Amino acid sequence: MMFASPFLWLMMIPLAGFPLIYLIGRAGKRLGASKASISFWMALLALLVMVLPLYQLGGQVLAGQMPVLRLNAITLRMDGVGLLLSGTVLALAIAVTLFSYRYVGSEEGEEKYYALLLAMSGVIIGLGCAADLFNLWVWFEAMAVTSYLLVAFYRNQPGALEAGVKYVIQSACGSVLVVLGIALVFTHSRSLGLLQIPAKIAMPAPLVLVAGVFFVVGFGVKSALVPLHTWLPDAHSQAPSGISAMLSGVVIEAGLVALLRSLGVLSGLGAPIATLLLIFAVLNMLVGNLMALRQTQIKRLLAFSSVSHIGYMLLGLAAALGFGAASGAGGSFFHILTHALMKGLAFLSAGLLLYCLRIAAGSHEPLTVDDLAGAARRYPLAAFAFSVAVLGLGGLPPLAGFMSKWQIFVGGFQTQSPLLQWLVVFAALNSVLSLGYYAPLVNRIYRKQPSDIVLAGKAAPFTMNLVLLVLSAAVVVLGFAPGLVNALTESAAVSLLSAFGL
Amino acid sequence: MQWSFPMIVIVVVLGLLGIGFYGLLIVRNLIKVVVALQVLAKGAMLALVLAGELAGQIYIGDSMAITLIVADTIVAVIGLALAVQVRRHIGSLDIGHLSKLRR
Repeated sequence: MMFASPFLWLMMIPLAGFPLIYLIGRAGKRLGASKASISFWMALLALLVMVLPLYQLGGQVLAGQMPVLRLNAITLRMDGVGLLLSGTVLALAIAVTLFSYRYVGSEEGEEKYYALLLAMSGVIIGLGCAADLFNLWVWFEAMAVTSYLLVAFYRNQPGALEAGVKYVIQSACGSVLVVLGIALVFTHSRSLGLLQIPAKIAMPAPLVLVAGVFFVVGFGVKSALVPLHTWLPDAHSQAPSGISAMLSGVVIEAGLVALLRSLGVLSGLGAPIATLLLIFAVLNMLVGNLMALRQTQIKRLLAFSSVSHIGYMLLGLAAALGFGAASGAGGSFFHILTHALMKGLAFLSAGLLLYCLRIAAGSHEPLTVDDLAGAARRYPLAAFAFSVAVLGLGGLPPLAGFMSKWQIFVGGFQTQSPLLQWLVVFAALNSVLSLGYYAPLVNRIYRKQPSDIVLAGKAAPFTMNLVLLVLSAAVVVLGFAPGLVNALTESAAVSLLSAFGL
Repeated sequence: MQWSFPMIVIVVVLGLLGIGFYGLLIVRNLIKVVVALQVLAKGAMLALVLAGELAGQIYIGDSMAITLIVADTIVAVIGLALAVQVRRHIGSLDIGHLSKLRR
């Protein structure tokens, strides 16, 4: 009955598929297939096929079960958090793959790109479902490795190399610290299972506190907690746009999930964890928004806005973990989903403009704010999609970003704690501040005269436009009907709170 | 004070971590940075073996250390591959020259 398991299929398709995609794509090129896009079709097919087992598993998880996959000593267990992360990854990866058909079609090493994209999706699903601490680290490291290679995809560009080097060094230091934390927890509790450890730790134990610090710093590098975020703007702005969307939409959130899972092991600590998350929430919102205000490159601006959005997520999580407002966690998971859609849309529509204005002409110069002037005349759909995305990120009412932020704020107010209520006001003001750099972009796109670069730009390819249309529709629909994903976010919140023993 | 075996190992682990972090702070050459990262990873590896020993489950500690060897080799390979490309396209291995992306 082993092969009847949808879970096994879900893990096998990407992990067995990605080397095949690379080898076949490579062989196709060697045999002189004109315009070898076979790797594109294989990656797209694999991702689409993965939807079926995920749908089946999703039904089981939402019905309250926990599907388990055992391969020798390795156990994977899908709970609500894992399901939410897997669904988000798969949706965004399909959009990014379709988008990249033309974007990387003219680049050398196309087969590497699709193989790594599929591998990254599979590995993040594994990370969401890992059931023991060391396993969690292995998936985390595998995700890091695939993302190093994708960030430095333009390996002839000095900018991409610089971003890659910074990312590798910071991330490798972080992962060493995580390993040290695991060694400490293992010494103390003699166990690695995420569910078994909490019962075996006698709190408060100083060594375990040290392990907690290692986890926060180590996973914090990947999830861009503020003093550790410096790799992010470089990596996001230098990677191919599809990869920027993946990094910003799911990779840093996967880091956040890994952080939560590892802190769940130390749940005996209780309230101090929430306080720590609140401190990072404030730092992330403030630094992310203030730094975004002074950017002139579009992709760097969007990257700093990701830093601030991690802050909103942390606020909701802290309200749930330390102050007993469960709806805060639901809001945060909803925000993970909507942020992936909105930031994915923002990076992809910026990517379309970058492709048409720069890359198609053989240039790798970054896209600046001035280049956007009057883009709506020539690229109406991309302009509309970009506006939907940034206004959603800024939290304007009928869009998805407003709904998820609103739910986080409601969670914050339900805590009845004055501190949290002040922080919600602070977060709302930060949202307004963020409109200070989003709104001028929209204004510039629609109300300025088209610049010479825009007039000379190439026509937008159909596949890119299609992806933007679907994602914008999703952002608008989730804004009007947030209840559609209620079951998903609620089950994620329940799983998280039960991991923390709440 | 008696020096027990675990204490000696702990001192070695801390020593390796210290050398690694100190190296990362002072070294300018990209290849030496990769070496410093390797020293750090070796410290973590020893810590895992010691954790297995102290927890009384030596085989788990060892298998984690072996997994770490694989992971850390991959990171070293990527680091060195980036170093080759950096030398080729930027013309220097000094990380001081890797600061074009400001702000």
